[in-house]
Amino acid sequence: MSEDLKERVVAAFREKSKGDKKMFYIRDVTKWFPGEDRHAVQNAVKALIEEDALKYWSSGSTTYIVLAEFFTEG
Amino acid sequence: MAKSETPLLDELEKGKWPSFVTEIKKAAEKSPMANDLLHQLELSYKDRIGHWKHGGIVGVKGYGSGVIGRYSDRPDLFPNVQAFHTIRVNHPSGWFYKTDALRSLCDIWDKHGSGLTNMHGSTGDAILLGTTTDHLQTCFDDLSEAGFDLGGSGSALRTPSCCVGPGRCEWACVDSLDLCHHLTMNFQDEIHRPMFPYKFKIKISACPNDCVASIARADFSVIGTWKGDIRIDPAEVEAYASSDLNIQREVCDLCPTRCMEWDGRQLKIFNEDCTRCMHCINLMPKALRPGEEQGATILVGGKAPIVEGALLSWVLVPFMKLEPPYEEIKDLILRIQDWWSENGRSRERLGELIKRLGMRTFLRALDLPATPQMVKAPRTNPYVFFWPEDIQQEVK
Repeated sequence: MSEDLKERVVAAFREKSKGDKKMFYIRDVTKWFPGEDRHAVQNAVKALIEEDALKYWSSGSTTYIVLAEFFTEG
Repeated sequence: MAKSETPLLDELEKGKWPSFVTEIKKAAEKSPMANDLLHQLELSYKDRIGHWKHGGIVGVKGYGSGVIGRYSDRPDLFPNVQAFHTIRVNHPSGWFYKTDALRSLCDIWDKHGSGLTNMHGSTGDAILLGTTTDHLQTCFDDLSEAGFDLGGSGSALRTPSCCVGPGRCEWACVDSLDLCHHLTMNFQDEIHRPMFPYKFKIKISACPNDCVASIARADFSVIGTWKGDIRIDPAEVEAYASSDLNIQREVCDLCPTRCMEWDGRQLKIFNEDCTRCMHCINLMPKALRPGEEQGATILVGGKAPIVEGALLSWVLVPFMKLEPPYEEIKDLILRIQDWWSENGRSRERLGELIKRLGMRTFLRALDLPATPQMVKAPRTNPYVFFWPEDIQQEVK
């Protein structure tokens, strides 16, 4: 797992979360890194979720990814 | 007589059918959660609006699915259902439980939740209704210790499900139970860590009766089928003929492709015209049986009418032998999911993507040949599209 990629993913989340929108589809996230392998970005996201830097947010049918500090339970 | 506190819900107890209201009332006698649920539901009927907020929390440590967050929007009135999360428990293949297992599931749920269950939900999972956030992890730990795991939810592979297959059914052409178990174990990461554009469902029926309705409900449908001739036992055909069954009227005349002939003594089947609808086999189970060479048809793209309209699955592979370790089908699933993840829009199901980009694009990506069985609706489109290189080949 590339630490550099993980850092860039977190940085991208911080940048994109500056507006009102805080939650993103995984598809949005992989599109932020057009030059990167999609699987590598997904693995970086999974690792960051394991480390509690990112969190899943789910409506039950759809899942979003959100920076841990912006996660709201209900 | 005291006036009922739930007059609107009481209406749902009338009639000869079992009522979920009666069951919630029973649970409410010992569970404050169930009691508040009952009264919030009554308020929903009165206000004609749901009083649930959904979304948020998704699971337990290491999981991104299996828990569906639910919160009351009237916690002031119903504090016991302020948080009322649902837990999806991965059901065993074919829903075969020993009573011990069901008892332990219920004991765990009485300890950690409302005690209310939905056995089973549309996904197939055992649905445990109503617990609080602080009970999620401990409930999961107890479930794990009892041998259960969570199912899928959100943008993930949903818990694969299958019919009872060879466990109880003589028509099974594939071992749906074993295949379902293999796929569930193989795709654990895809079930528990959502990384797809949207939900993805796998359902397996062991014969064309399609008892789990996989053709209508799954993105990836596996339906058992056979090659060759339907097996006929002439003695049993005669026995049916001398019973109440009118073979001409009830069997031959109702065959959708009219591929059967009955002369009063002998039943002939023109197997090349058979579409494997199972009608004749269902009516004459002792006399007719599926052919000897058995496998499955793989179909893709079925879904219910959310986001876009409902779709039935298309045939993708007309016949595939399915034997452990099922490498061919696992590889196919991976390739399909990869193409969908690469090209699908957010909240776009596989069937919608195939419709948007075209079946030929899908087939090319999967390196699968086009076959006549893939034609979903013949003679509806006068246009034939070729790839440029196909035209060049033709010119040469």
